[in-house]
Amino acid sequence: MIRASSRADRTAGSPLGRASPLVTLGVAVAWLIALATTSQPWPPVFVVVVAIPGTLAFGRVAPGDLARGLAPLWLAALLVGFFNALLSPANGDPAAAVLASVGPLRVTVPAAGAGVALALRVVAIVAVGVGWSRVTDPTHLADALAQQARLPERFAYGALAALQAIPWLADDLVALREARRTRGLRFSWHPRVLVGLLVLAVRRADRLAVAMDARGFAAASRTRYRVIRWLPVDALVAAAGVAVLAGILALR
Amino acid sequence: MNASASPTRSLPPSGWRTRDIVVTAVLGVAFGVVFWALNIAWSALAFLGPLQNLFYGPWLIPAVLAPLVVRRPGSGIFAEVVAASVSAILGSQWGVIVLLYGIAQGLAGELPFLATRYHSFSWPVVVAAGLLASAAAWLLDWAFFYSEVAVATQLVVGALMAVSGVVVVAGGSIFLARALREAGVLEGFPGPEGSAP
Amino acid sequence: MATDTTPGSAPVAVVARGLAIAYPGREVPAVSGVSFDLPPGHCLLVVGPSGSGKSTLVRAIAGLVPWSVPGRLEGHLSVGGIEPGSSDPARLVERVGVVFQDPSSQLVMERVDDDVAFGLEGRRWPRPAMVARVPAALGEVGLAGFERRRTARLSGGEQQRLALAGALAPLPGLLVLDEPTANLDPVGAAAFGETLGAIRTARAATVVLVEHRADLAWPLADLVLALGSDGLPIAVAPPAEMLSRHRAALVDAGIWLPEPVRSGPPHVTPRPPPSMPPPPPGLPIAVAAGVSFGYEPRRPVLREADLAVAPGERVALLGANGSGKSTLLRLLVGLLRPTAGTVRLAGQDPARLPARRLARLAGHVMQDPERGFLAASVEAEILAGLDATERARAGDVADALGLPLTRFGARSPYRLSGGEQRRLSIAAQLVRSPLLLALDEPTFGQDRRTYEALVALLRERVEAGTAVIAATHDLRFASDLGGRTVRLEGGRGRPEAAPGRPLAPGVVAP
Repeated sequence: MIRASSRADRTAGSPLGRASPLVTLGVAVAWLIALATTSQPWPPVFVVVVAIPGTLAFGRVAPGDLARGLAPLWLAALLVGFFNALLSPANGDPAAAVLASVGPLRVTVPAAGAGVALALRVVAIVAVGVGWSRVTDPTHLADALAQQARLPERFAYGALAALQAIPWLADDLVALREARRTRGLRFSWHPRVLVGLLVLAVRRADRLAVAMDARGFAAASRTRYRVIRWLPVDALVAAAGVAVLAGILALR
Repeated sequence: MNASASPTRSLPPSGWRTRDIVVTAVLGVAFGVVFWALNIAWSALAFLGPLQNLFYGPWLIPAVLAPLVVRRPGSGIFAEVVAASVSAILGSQWGVIVLLYGIAQGLAGELPFLATRYHSFSWPVVVAAGLLASAAAWLLDWAFFYSEVAVATQLVVGALMAVSGVVVVAGGSIFLARALREAGVLEGFPGPEGSAP
Repeated sequence: MATDTTPGSAPVAVVARGLAIAYPGREVPAVSGVSFDLPPGHCLLVVGPSGSGKSTLVRAIAGLVPWSVPGRLEGHLSVGGIEPGSSDPARLVERVGVVFQDPSSQLVMERVDDDVAFGLEGRRWPRPAMVARVPAALGEVGLAGFERRRTARLSGGEQQRLALAGALAPLPGLLVLDEPTANLDPVGAAAFGETLGAIRTARAATVVLVEHRADLAWPLADLVLALGSDGLPIAVAPPAEMLSRHRAALVDAGIWLPEPVRSGPPHVTPRPPPSMPPPPPGLPIAVAAGVSFGYEPRRPVLREADLAVAPGERVALLGANGSGKSTLLRLLVGLLRPTAGTVRLAGQDPARLPARRLARLAGHVMQDPERGFLAASVEAEILAGLDATERARAGDVADALGLPLTRFGARSPYRLSGGEQRRLSIAAQLVRSPLLLALDEPTFGQDRRTYEALVALLRERVEAGTAVIAATHDLRFASDLGGRTVRLEGGRGRPEAAPGRPLAPGVVAP
């Protein structure tokens, strides 16, 4: 089931839930970029060891929820690791020890090591991503973008309003699929299905835009019902994030 | 806020009407929903390795389609980032990194339109947008997921992605923009692709 | 503007003189020649057949034309002394609250209180005033205590009342409502009507209302403006005078009128069915036996429901929103697979039938026709998925439904009027002559003329042997269809009154 928000209510009061999404996002992005600068296996292991317990403890995310989010990653990690090992230039090195070979294809030990490191990197990227998605509330993010990052608020709140259409658009997709079946057509990603979905999306957007105009959205400036302030927890999360970043860089 | 006689006085200076903002954002969200529905298929394609990127096209369409429809500077990056946010917030398996991809792909797809100062929406401009968006995806994948793969292989993958960028991203965006126009839901947005606004 | 006093405005007067509104690029105005005087605190009801320009007119009165809704204003319109077409939109928006038909495209925030505050932020209310006003506005619409609920989890009726709270929160001088109950079941509509009644009694704001539900709307009105299908006014008059002097003209135009007050349940003109179908000969065409279904685990929508439909039978399926009517229809026509129990369509499991075979046994007309369109033109829409024999029939079916292909064939389905879209979605199903036709809320948003055409068409199909089952909130339709009614309660089917017997007034246990 697709939802307009993935954050559980109890997460809202947790340290990671209260911290500015800009801080958690900044930390997550910094870690990901640092991970991309290294082919060593230990930095991603370190990130996973920090991110998963951190999300559970400081984000109060339900373990089952996190596990479901992480479920699809294992196959992806394996395959990314496998292809990096298979297609690595290290396999062309005649001096390297061969781990396995099938016909003309050979995988050397250094290539396999690099494959393992990249598989671990995928696990780390996904762990950070799923953790962030579980502690982040879209309204909180839009407020932070408008009030703390000073992005144009009409865009931040326009995007937030559009997010409310997710369940309806998911229903549109179901309706289009059913319409094809009742006409004797098999369902597939026929281009007309996408056209139908986008037509319905634009229609809904038009009505939504008029409704928002009628509620004063066109005004050049707005007052704020939810006020976002920098909190001590922001400094704590940022400090912890920098410490982990230093760890990643030290383990390279 | 004092009274003024001009009906456009209270519109913000960027020139984006509420309709432009919301249509762009909802297009992004609609693609986010499609990505969500496609995610399973995408994971199933992982066995293709780097060649999986041949099927990357749909993920890049918002960056090119939104400028074709809305014709406001920044619409490509806005739509692509919103689409990515849907994935990131609703917990696609990739999360935050999708946002990085969204920003890079949106920015890349936006560039050709900006270069013509949003005056031309002809085939060459759209194709350039599709190619650049594909290039952004290709470089990010190289950096994050396939950094151990040999350069020669990367170039082959890049060439194949370029084909996808032309056929799926540019061709698909033009097809969808035309279909939306024919359905009659784009009244009030500037004219057909190829012409100046 | 943000001062210490609570912002907001007193009820405003609305004056129109020879008002006309044209869509961009079209010469003939959608509405023209509209004149009326609406004193502060009074309620104007706008009625007319579909396509008469009601929505356009009230959007103009709300001050949204031309800067948000494209269009050209001619003549004179003044709302509290402000002329919408020529003023800064912000000045008028500040004084007007609007509620639209569709909850899904007017709620903008995830949480209830944030959504109510959205309009206050745009009107630059100071924060303390917002914090005080939000719960009060929710209280006014009967949603006290709903502050932190998620808007997406509310029922349709609650969502519409939330939209009303959002419109009322800024204490508008003018409240504009465009078919606010069109998507609601009778219970939700009644609750909404009660809230409106309180506003009307308090004269808290001037009200401009477009509403198809005549029994709900007419008692609220001080003044009625009736538009003809050409967008020209038929008359402007107080409700009693309108009904006594212009009844024939209103009926002619296909406008729904309030039924005379009767004792007993608010059921309308029960008429004997023209011809009761003979008792089921042999096997029923569709059977659901002990069927359960839920979209989410542990939240069943249907529980052990039973239903059998005989060939050529008519069945009206009643029940509150969420009682599983649409779900039961989709199970019968093989769009869903039951979690328990069995469904049989012509003796086979419809969910397992290949699409080609299924489409020739059953047709399904969804509630919102737009959601089912698959093609770029009316002709392609009707032809989608047809074989050669059926293609030959397409022209006749289109003619019979008033969509001659010579005139409509090349048009985009999305550019048709609401009534035309409904007929197109039915044509696309009937062209295969299915044995069972399932319709989901077929009368939503139909004016009386398109309604009568629909009823006549369905009766014709039944004569030809098609079984018709319709999920509906519309008790009039259930009666006019002239068959059996079945009420879904708590996920179970319960056969109801024999044809013609009055039904319970739309109140159903959840």
